[in-house]
Order: sequence, then C-alpha cells, then structure tokens
Amino acid sequence: MKTCILPLAKGACFLSLLCALLLAASFLFMPKNNHKAFGMGNDELVAGGILGERENSIDVLVVGDSEAYSSISPMQMWDEHGFTSYLCSTGGQPLYDSHRFLRQALEHQSPKVVILETNAIFRPYKLSDYLASRAKSLFSVLRYHDRWKALTVNDLSGPMGYTWTDDLKGYRYNPKAAAADARRHMLPSEEMQEIPPLNRVCLREMLDLCEERGAQLILVSTPSTLNWNYPRHNTIAAFAAENGLTYLDLNLMTDKVPIDWKTDTRDKGDHLNYSGAVKVTGFLGQYLKQTFDLPDNRMDDAYASWHSALLRYRNTVSG
Amino acid sequence: MASYCSLLYAGVFLPAVVLCYAVTPQRHRGKVLLAASYLFFWLVSGKLVVFLLASAFSLHHFGLWLAAVQEERGRLLAAADKPERKAIKAAFQRRLRRILLFALLLHIGTLLTLKYAAFFSANLNRALEAFRLPFALPVPAFVLPIGISFYTLQAASYLIDVYRGTVQADRNPGRLMLFLGFFPQIMEGPICRYGQTAQALWEGRPFTWHDLTFGMQRILFGMMKKIVIADRLNILIKGVFSNPAAYDGGITALAMVCYTCQLYMEFSGTMDVVIGSAEIFGVRLPENFRQPFFSKSIAEFWMRWHITLGTWFKDYIFYPLSMSGPLKKLTGAARRRLGNHFGPLLAGSAALLAVWLCNGLWHGAGWQYIFFGLYHFALILCGSLTEPLARRVAGALHIDRSAAPYRVFRILRTGLLVCVGELFFRAEGLRAGLSMFRRMVTGFTLRPFTNGAFLELGMDGHDFFIVAVAVLIVLAVGVLRERGVPLREALGRQHIAVRWSVYYAAILFVVIFGAYGVGYVPVDPIYAAF
Repeated sequence: MKTCILPLAKGACFLSLLCALLLAASFLFMPKNNHKAFGMGNDELVAGGILGERENSIDVLVVGDSEAYSSISPMQMWDEHGFTSYLCSTGGQPLYDSHRFLRQALEHQSPKVVILETNAIFRPYKLSDYLASRAKSLFSVLRYHDRWKALTVNDLSGPMGYTWTDDLKGYRYNPKAAAADARRHMLPSEEMQEIPPLNRVCLREMLDLCEERGAQLILVSTPSTLNWNYPRHNTIAAFAAENGLTYLDLNLMTDKVPIDWKTDTRDKGDHLNYSGAVKVTGFLGQYLKQTFDLPDNRMDDAYASWHSALLRYRNTVSG
Repeated sequence: MASYCSLLYAGVFLPAVVLCYAVTPQRHRGKVLLAASYLFFWLVSGKLVVFLLASAFSLHHFGLWLAAVQEERGRLLAAADKPERKAIKAAFQRRLRRILLFALLLHIGTLLTLKYAAFFSANLNRALEAFRLPFALPVPAFVLPIGISFYTLQAASYLIDVYRGTVQADRNPGRLMLFLGFFPQIMEGPICRYGQTAQALWEGRPFTWHDLTFGMQRILFGMMKKIVIADRLNILIKGVFSNPAAYDGGITALAMVCYTCQLYMEFSGTMDVVIGSAEIFGVRLPENFRQPFFSKSIAEFWMRWHITLGTWFKDYIFYPLSMSGPLKKLTGAARRRLGNHFGPLLAGSAALLAVWLCNGLWHGAGWQYIFFGLYHFALILCGSLTEPLARRVAGALHIDRSAAPYRVFRILRTGLLVCVGELFFRAEGLRAGLSMFRRMVTGFTLRPFTNGAFLELGMDGHDFFIVAVAVLIVLAVGVLRERGVPLREALGRQHIAVRWSVYYAAILFVVIFGAYGVGYVPVDPIYAAF
C-alpha cells in the first residue's frame, strides 16, 4: 500500500498541471466571437446565436432537437404578442446538450419560461458521449481543437465578445411539403415508454437548474407522426404530474393546433414545415402570453433590433 | 467502449482499474484484473460474455482431462515392462489425440459456425443454383462475440501445448479465465501463449511509478497514431472505397496508400495502447509489430506485422503439417528430383498454402480475404523461387545487395506490394478490388495532384500536413528502434522537467491535432471485426 502512495501522488501532481495546461489551451482555442468566421461550428452557430442577444432580454427559452426548430417560430410570437424567445435547438440534440445549452443561456439570460421539446427525452446516448460532452464543457479546447487551422494572433489576447444573433432566433424555415400517413398517429394505449436512465438524471438536473434560476420549465410535444405516440405521451404526462410541471402534448390538441398532415409536414410526418409551425406557434404564443403574463416589448427602444429582424423574417417567409 | 482509444476506456475504465489494482493487496490483484476483464467484456458484448465463459470453462476442463490421461500414462509406463511400453504409449497417444480433437472441434467449431456459416452457406447456395439444384441452405446471421478470433486461437494454443506437454494443465480456473479474457487484449490481441502471460497476470505484480509512466507513454504514442493519423484519414478512405467508380487511378492510388497507412496506424496504435495498459500492471505482452515497413521482402514483412498471428500459424499449422508423414515423404521425393533448394521449397509450399488460406479466412469471411491470403502466399513463394536467379542477376550486374540504395529499393518494392494487397483487403468485395486495381494501373495520372482534386476528398492541406508530421514522428521512432536506440529508457533518464514537458507536448499534440468531434468519423477498430 505504501509503495502505491508515491506513484499516485506524482500522478495527481501531473494531472493537476495537465488540467492547467488544458485550461490555457481552452482559452486560446475558444472562439472569441459567436460568428461563423470566428470558428463556431455550423450546428452550434444558430443555437449559439442567443449569446449575441442583449443580457436578460429573452422571455422564453426553448431547448430540444429538430422538432423544436421546425415547429416554433420566435419571430411570429414577437410579431403577434411582443415577447422575446430563442430556440437553442440542434439536429438530433441529445438531452445532455439541451442541458448544456440551457446552462450556457442562463448565464446571460433570465427567461420566465423554459420550454423543453420532449422528443430529446427519449433519445438514448452512450455514457461515453455524455462524459465527452462534460469534458468539453470543462475544457473547451476539446470542442474547438479543430480551430488550429485558423488560429490568429488575436486568439492569444482577444477578449470574448458575442455580437452575432440569428434573425430567425433559432427557427429554421422550410416551406416544403411531403404528406404523411397519419391514420395510426396517436392511437390510444395504456403502455409507457421508459425514459433512458441517463436522461432521467439529466432531466432532474435541468429541473433543478430552472428552479434555481426562477424559470418555469414546461414540457411541449410538438406534432410528429413519426416521433410521437401514446406510450411516450403517457410517460411524459406521468413525469410532469410527478414533478408538478405543465405538459402540452400538441399531438392530442387537434382542436387548438389543427395540423393537416397532407400539407403541414415537410418530410412525411417527421417534422412540420412552415405552415405547420405557424399553427403551433399561433397556439403556443397565445398560451404563453396568457399563462405567464409575458411582457409586450414592442414599444421598447431596447428591442429595436427585433423590429429589423422581423422585417427580414417576413422577407424570408414570404418566399 | 467501442475502442481502446475511447474516452470511456482511457479516461474512466482503465484509471478505475489501475486505482483498484494499486490499492488492492498484491495476492488479490489477479482477481481485480479478472473481475475487470469480464466486466469489460460484458460492457462491450453484453450477454455474449457467456461464449467467453463457456470457452474458459471448457478450456479448464479439457486441460485437466488431458493432464489426467497423461498422469495415467505415466503411472502405467512406470509399472510396465519394456515390451509393453510401446503399445501403452500408442494407445494413450490415440486417446490424447481424440480428447484434443474434441476440444479443438468445440472451440474452433464455435468460431467457424458463428463467423463462417453464413459465408459457406451463401456460397454453397450459389453453387447449387449454378447446377440448377432445387435446394437452398438457410443463411444464418449470428452475432459474433467481440474478440472471438483472438481468444479462440489462445484457447487452441493452450490445449495443444498441454497435449504436447510444453505447459502443465492449469488447475486454477481463475488464472485460465484471466489468461483468456484479459481486458486490454481481448478485442484485438496480441495472441498470447499461456506461458507468456498467465502466471504474470494472476500473481499480481508490484505497482510501480516506472511501469505506470512507461505504460502511459506507450498508450499516448498509440493514441497519437490512432486519433491523429488513422482517424484523420478515415473520411478520404471511406469516400473513395465506398464509391470507387467515381475516382481515377491517381486518387485510387492515393486512397490505397492512405488505407495501408491507416491500417498500420490503427492496428499498431491500438497495440501500443494494449501493451501500454498491460505494462501499467507490470505485465509484458508480446509485441505484434516490429517496424514492418522496413521489410525488404514480403516474407520479412510477415515476420514484423501481426507477429503473434504469424507465429501462431507457424507453430500450430505450418510445422505440424510440414512434419506430417505425407509431407515428409513429398519433401524427400521432391528433394531427389529438384535438388536441395527447390525440392523442400515446393513440398513446403503445400503447408504454406494451408497457412495463407487460414490467414486470409481468419481475417474475414469473404472472397477478398481469401484472395488477400493467396496473394501473399504467391508473393512469398515467388520470392523464394526466384531468390537464386535474383542472386545470379545481381552478381552479373555487379549490384551489391547489401548496399543502401538496393536495400531502399527492396523496402519500397515491398511497401508497394503490401499496399496493393491492402487495396483488395479494404475493397468492398473482390470484384470491386479488381476493378480498383485495374483503374489504378490503366488510368493512373498525376492530374488530381496538380489540379488540387485530391484536396476535395474531405481532407484539406492542413489535414495532409498534420498527417505527414505525425507519420514522420512515427517514422523517426521506427528508425531509432531499428537502430536499437532505447528511446523510452533514454527519456526516462531525463530530468523530470524535460520528461514532463515531452509528455505534456505529446498530450497537447493529440488533443489539438486529433481527428475527433463534429465533422470527424473515427475509424472503428479494424481488427476487432476479425
């Protein structure tokens, strides 16, 4: 036993110094702005646009996978109700990334409401991916190491400053239509689909984080014939009841969100298209406004950039 | 834990086992490794761990059975008169051989069934169809336990060694289980013999700073090969080999060289991680590579590449076949007719053919693997057959065969032949391999390199540069090893500031220049699939 102490102590010393070096490298490799030209990855670019928003200016934050960025349009909610929202959504987002985006956003924002799109809750992932994500959060050189190809002298001393944001605030416009067969969509069932154990831990951490930051977490299942079903609904409804959370399953609220599966989906029921998103956002905006008494910022000069973004959004969606 | 270079293995599993090993009293350390090994296998293969457990159980049982029969033979021989001894020996030899055959059938039969049944059935069905016979065998689809090709060979070597009396049958099932399933080597080897590792693994070596640092050094070097080189080349290789018709001869040749480089870096890099992991526990595993690309002939290449597989085939297939009655007779007859060089060579080639057929098939159930084995058989045989002529020609032309330029020529020639073999090995089927080879020979141009088309294959100039730097590092280490420079010991003698600076530089090199994260697809452990 005694012979083990020296190697272990030396090892601890070696690792401490290594951590210090990795932190220094992380500072060097961290993009000094959230603009693409500064080395932000493609997928994270749009979701990371929230870093360019003015501090404490976002009322509703959305995390989740492509279901979220296909179904919810923050600019429509701004246009109709005047509250601000942003989608930190990426394709195939694992729940630990939802948690990471939430943590990152809450460093600069204090939203009243955090929406978690529920599809990510059932996406299994490997422990190694989760650990890698944690390690990357700790040492950002692991996430941005590929920037060695584009490092400049500014990276040595340049201060962090986030100046870029997305005009669509995380929403991804897609007007294509490919009809879905929805005959078997949401057939009633008593079954439940289990939440992967690692996701349960992650959900608990997200819940605690929202509680700590005074944000109301609500769970939303956006319409999708391919991804959503009754066993998933039952599980999330039970989880929401267990934790006193609001749960909106828009797949079942056909009177309020009348999705036409012939025209409102872009890929045969996997994701909604623009016309589907308009329906979802129309309901969701009104619900959030009424339930959480969100402010109307449209007359506030501090939100001038949102007016100009709205004009560009209108240009985009008008084709 | 898909790879020994994964974060879960190198960052969590291995450190946890090392910690447990270090704080456990020495007499129980073998048990720590045993528990860790079967946990590892379960984490990688789930319930397929029963195959490994069954193999270890039967290995123990058959070993003891052979030992019991050998003991009985000894007792009877001691009590028997001289004239009776021959008959007793022969009877027991037959009995022992039957037990061995039964044991080997069980182990190798499992491997054959799981790995080759689908291949053989599909080919048989094709033959039946060709003869218009109205039968078809079902084509099974079995899930292979990870590392079955490796641990089956280890099990077979133990059984044969016990049968031959070169090792004593082990009465300790724990030691045998650990010998068979030691976690660093279970996925990709090296293929160890019982006498090499079983005792060292089980007895629990002292945990020392020297072993820890030397093991980590080796792991780091292996990770550099795998993550910086093999994984970075993956996108180019996958692109070209999955759609070979879209590329001309120049790009095909580039992909062939890149794949050979990737295969070596991935396999030898993993071996560095494996051997380094074992070194931390004070266990020296046999080397699997000895700078193969410095070989001057294909025969030499196979003495330096996947060494433990080559020696296994040599000890358990080539020698027994060469020494068998029919081949001895054939050798004698051939020697009388063809002389001392060609006679034994021609007769020995029958055993060699068996070895290379097995070698090809061991790598996978596919015609391209059989072709790969036969390709190397043909090259080795041609090399041996033409050796007298090559000597004569060199003598006539006054070429000094030991001079550096000629050695370099032979090294380059061998490297090229190896690359061609690997083209077939990686191609998606024998037909695709032949078509790629044809395109490379008939349509080779330098145009993709002059017009920059080679930079549109998923790797930019920076990528090629960093691969070149890393390959040069590996090459420099290889040259020093060839010259017998004890590089690691030399580094170990340096001041702590120098040593740690080198380690930190190496770690940062891997962290920064490694091909991982968004935009990269790491290469799967290539040999684990065999």
